[in-house]
Amino acid sequence: MNAMTTLPQFPWLSLLIFLPLSGALLCLLHNGRDSECRWLALTTALATFLVTIWLFVGHGQHDPQGWLLVEDRAWIERFGIRYSLAMDGISLLMVLLTGLLQVVGVLLSWPVRRQSGLFFALLLAMEAGLMGLFLAHDLVLFYLFWEIALVPMFFLIGIWGRERRRQAALKFFLYTLAGSLCMLLAIIALHLIHGEQTGHYSFLISDLLHTRLSTAQEFWLFAGFLAAFAIKSPIVPLHTWLPDAFAESPSVGSVDLTGLLIKTGIYGLIRIAFPLFPIATAAFLPILGILALVGLFHAAWSAYQQEDIKRLLAYSSISHLGLVLLGLAAWSLTAWQGSLLLIVTHGVTTGALFALVSMLHQRTGTRRLQQLGGLWGQAPCLSALFLLFALASLGLPGLANFSGEILVLLGTFKSHPVWAGFGMLGVVFAAAYMLRLVQGILWGEAQKTPGQYDPVADLTLREWLILAPLAIITVWLGLYPAPLLAPLEQPVLLLLGGLP
Amino acid sequence: MSWMDLLALTPQLILVLGATTLLLGGAWFPAPRPLLAGAILVALLAALAAGTVPPPVPEISALFHATPYARFFTVLWCLLGACGLLISVRFVMDHRLPAAEYVSLILFAVTGMTLLSAASSLIGLFLGLEAFTLAFYILIACRRDCDLSAEAALKYLILGAVATGFLAFGIALVYAASGSLHIPEALQGLQSAGGMRAWGFLGWGLVLCAVGFKISLAPFHLWTADVYQGTPAPVAALLATGSKGAVIAAVVGMMMSGAPLWRDMSSLLWVLAGLTMLAGALGALPQTNIKRLLAYSSVVHMGTVLVGLLPESRAGLTATVFALVVYVLASLGCFSVLASLADQRGEPQDFADWRGMGRRYPVRCSALALLLLSLAGLPGTAGFMAKFAIFHAAIQADLIGLALLGILASLISFAFYLKLIMLFFMDEDSTSARSSGSVFEHAVLAVCTSAVLLFGFFPAPLFNLIDLLFP
Repeated sequence: MNAMTTLPQFPWLSLLIFLPLSGALLCLLHNGRDSECRWLALTTALATFLVTIWLFVGHGQHDPQGWLLVEDRAWIERFGIRYSLAMDGISLLMVLLTGLLQVVGVLLSWPVRRQSGLFFALLLAMEAGLMGLFLAHDLVLFYLFWEIALVPMFFLIGIWGRERRRQAALKFFLYTLAGSLCMLLAIIALHLIHGEQTGHYSFLISDLLHTRLSTAQEFWLFAGFLAAFAIKSPIVPLHTWLPDAFAESPSVGSVDLTGLLIKTGIYGLIRIAFPLFPIATAAFLPILGILALVGLFHAAWSAYQQEDIKRLLAYSSISHLGLVLLGLAAWSLTAWQGSLLLIVTHGVTTGALFALVSMLHQRTGTRRLQQLGGLWGQAPCLSALFLLFALASLGLPGLANFSGEILVLLGTFKSHPVWAGFGMLGVVFAAAYMLRLVQGILWGEAQKTPGQYDPVADLTLREWLILAPLAIITVWLGLYPAPLLAPLEQPVLLLLGGLP
Repeated sequence: MSWMDLLALTPQLILVLGATTLLLGGAWFPAPRPLLAGAILVALLAALAAGTVPPPVPEISALFHATPYARFFTVLWCLLGACGLLISVRFVMDHRLPAAEYVSLILFAVTGMTLLSAASSLIGLFLGLEAFTLAFYILIACRRDCDLSAEAALKYLILGAVATGFLAFGIALVYAASGSLHIPEALQGLQSAGGMRAWGFLGWGLVLCAVGFKISLAPFHLWTADVYQGTPAPVAALLATGSKGAVIAAVVGMMMSGAPLWRDMSSLLWVLAGLTMLAGALGALPQTNIKRLLAYSSVVHMGTVLVGLLPESRAGLTATVFALVVYVLASLGCFSVLASLADQRGEPQDFADWRGMGRRYPVRCSALALLLLSLAGLPGTAGFMAKFAIFHAAIQADLIGLALLGILASLISFAFYLKLIMLFFMDEDSTSARSSGSVFEHAVLAVCTSAVLLFGFFPAPLFNLIDLLFP
């Protein structure tokens, strides 16, 4: 059970960051030799994933501060910046999801031929950035990884994306950057305020928790962090970068965006913004709840109207994120556990849907709903899996998303029955656009687009390897989510503690 | 001037004597290679002398400092000169420039920069400034067959002359008001100047204008883009880094005397810094020429550096010097890429020339992208640590408004740097083949790139070194 304790000195957390990073460097060195790069990337991603599973299986108990594993070294002493990583149940879950989705991402990108070394290097660099982001316990380190995860995505969209990739990449980068620069100012300001009070200049979250702030200070600093996290999540009026980025990015980009990158915003809220600024948070929660509901409905409505499947799924992601945010706003153990579970299950199911869409796109050359149809007759396995993930995504009981959604709604109902009612309605909306998607693709007449084709081929072995594990996870988490919920309980209680 | 003073001037003497020898020797032996090699040797020797021979006196004839601070910049500018000469090798040979004149002018310019950074009196300041400005008037126009160069040189000459006028008149007024040309006394004397105090302020204001011209603070920045565009990359590299850096170093040197003058002028500096950052960033956005873009980028950087001066704190000054060094490294690297791609047609300047360049020359373009991102301030590069340190100092001094302006300028900067980076990585290949560059250009680029990365993750050594410079 706790092999970890026998090797307490081993830097597991650093391994999670530096393993993909070294893989990225190796890929870069092998640029031009396609098959070596692919296998290198797959090996690295798999190895990293195995480490995360190992951590998940072998993790011990949370220590009194609420951490499973901690690493702490001096880094830039001049400013009190430390190389400090810490993992609790929440980070563990995010790290696990990252490991899984990157393996999926590499397999999904198997056919990439153009500059494949660079492609896989960027993919692995992004994994390193994300791992670091979910583990960082020092705000500057967090900021570093936050940006490091951003840059590879910029290039992935910009180089391997579709026609309007350049605008989408630039929009994505600048939107996110606008938020993160505000966060940077807030980080420095908080650090200085804390330093002046205590004489101890530090960027560690655990140190900064004890900063005494005036209400005005707290609101301004909270606003700085919120700018970054709200844009990334995205909370609704700030979501306009997302559909473009999703639609224009290569298939792996959509999977990573939906599964991981937009989750970093939520993670930031939970880990940093809420605990550091309790008063501002308490004032903000009702607004967050309303914004979450607005997002839930607005995005569902927009999703219903999309012709492009990828855009439809992009909006469905925003809509799902609305439910996650609703759970956070409800501020109870059940709702938070639900939200966090939903983050993982949404990553798995929508990630799988994006993967399926890209497979479909490769076969038919189109992503327009009108030009598709009648898939069931031609490719039954592909269709069946599509149906499974679509049903999971709309929250069918027994499949993954349901557990998360029901926990969110239950948790919300206790404190805010009206919100829960609207949330429930939102789930119905999800059924509407998802069923429209399923109907458009799987049933009806088989359409023939110009320049096409033979009957759509069914899944290849590689595609089975991508989808089958995700399908198993979807069913398993729908029936028995307890293993994921257990490690969440203690850190969530710790984060919820002492507040409204 | 005693023997002690001369000994303290060793680096500058090496530079000047070396330059003269090469100039005269070039008359008999005009082959470019040995001359360039000799000049690089002279610059390195001067750097070595500045770094190892401890000066016997702290100040030379009440004109120049010989403090560790001054010595640091002497070493820096000598190394910069050596790098500038390295990236000039192919340029001089390709265009059959008179090598002797070229290398000696560069060495004279470097001498001027080292003197300016060390200036302890207003006369020293004037001498140093004019020494390198004169050399640059000629260097900018060194390609006599190029109209753009002629235009650039003329612009630089006229504005330089105006700046000189401001500076000379300003110094005269300061002297009249305070009775001293030695900077600490001139600053202190202002407090007891009585009725002359206003004239003294005007004098310092005029000096500030001259400084503004040289480091292109808005609204004195309009020449920058035109001059960079017409200047050959190896010369532009020195113009962008050394000529501005030396002025900043001199200003920081004045700041160290910590006179109350700066507090009186701080609102003026505030406005200048904010205006410069925004004007530079907004000016860069519509550019479609990489050199003009770099020119505006340097304007933004000078504004940011000025922010570091405003807090009047030791942390602020350290941050300023750090940012300056990092800016020099990144800028030099960018220009060395340009120099390495140059061939008989000149350098690829227009954005149209850069389409798909990253596909054709991935290594150099990746390095350039990294340097540009460092200029923009991406975490993980030295540029981020520089901005971090400066904004850290600014917020500590409650300059929140300026920090917000800086953030805004950073955001806009990212937009134009990324537009350029996208151009060479994300557009289809439509460029014609360019020069594959010489080993010297690649070496300079490699040094700059690795330094930018190294100081991005481990800035401590450079910070510690800079800490030693401030007493």
